[in-house]
Amino acid sequence: MTSSLEKLVEDIIKESKAKAEKVRKDGQTQVEEAIAAGRTEAVRDADKLIQEAKAEAEAERNRIVSQERQKARIAYLTEKNRVLQEVLKDVRARLLEATENESSYRPFLLKAIRKGVDAVPSESVRVALCDRDLKRYKGRQLLDQALAATQTRKKAILSDEPLETIGGAVVTSEDGKMRADCTLEARLQLMEPQILAEITKILFAS
Amino acid sequence: MRKIVESEKEGHRILDQAEREIAEIRKDLPNRIALIREQILAEAAKEKEHVLTEGQRISAEEAERIASESSKQVKALSQIPEAKRKRAVERAIELLLSQ
Repeated sequence: MTSSLEKLVEDIIKESKAKAEKVRKDGQTQVEEAIAAGRTEAVRDADKLIQEAKAEAEAERNRIVSQERQKARIAYLTEKNRVLQEVLKDVRARLLEATENESSYRPFLLKAIRKGVDAVPSESVRVALCDRDLKRYKGRQLLDQALAATQTRKKAILSDEPLETIGGAVVTSEDGKMRADCTLEARLQLMEPQILAEITKILFAS
Repeated sequence: MRKIVESEKEGHRILDQAEREIAEIRKDLPNRIALIREQILAEAAKEKEHVLTEGQRISAEEAERIASESSKQVKALSQIPEAKRKRAVERAIELLLSQ
């Protein structure tokens, strides 16, 4: 009887301990789950924070790099333009020398006069040259030669007034209302884009 | 009979004790979660700072590299051989005088 009672008491305690263990275990599981959920949420927020920082850093990098590239491009183009303008200045300076070379300049001058005469729709035209050319090509020979090639019936006279130019001619109608500028300066201005392209090709082609 | 009643009381006490322990743990749970969150976010804040600083360093390095490369290119432009320049001038004159 005593043994049976002891067994009963022991069972009651054992059962209570088992229930207590289950309560602890369940409680612990719930706590761990809540902590894990809290941790997951915090990690997600932390990841978001870091991703935003990375995006911010990347945007800032792109902005700085793009700004620097633009600065570099402007510096390059400015220098390139400076070199081109310098060469163009050399061209202007060298043009004067080129006019000294009869073999290349005279054909140019003849063509310039011819073009001017053709361009001015007037029966009689006045051809103006620079002082150097007036002295160099005295008389009508130059004009006659130029007109012969145009097969025109126009009358052309050489102006006594010297022209302020490196070379070439200015042809005006007799009444002075129409004018064809066939000077080297005008040609240089007209051809500047083409000349710059050619210079660029020679100087910067790799 | 008395022993049985006592053992039942002891059983209740054991169970109550377990429930109190869990209640105590539950009570502290928000603080624990907040602490963990705080630690994780503090680490993230450090990482963010590092990412931004590193980003600035890389950007500055890249900007410097571009500036240096640009400087070399600009310098190269001003060092075009005289022969090339002469050739360009001659070609321009040739174009101007040809009609």
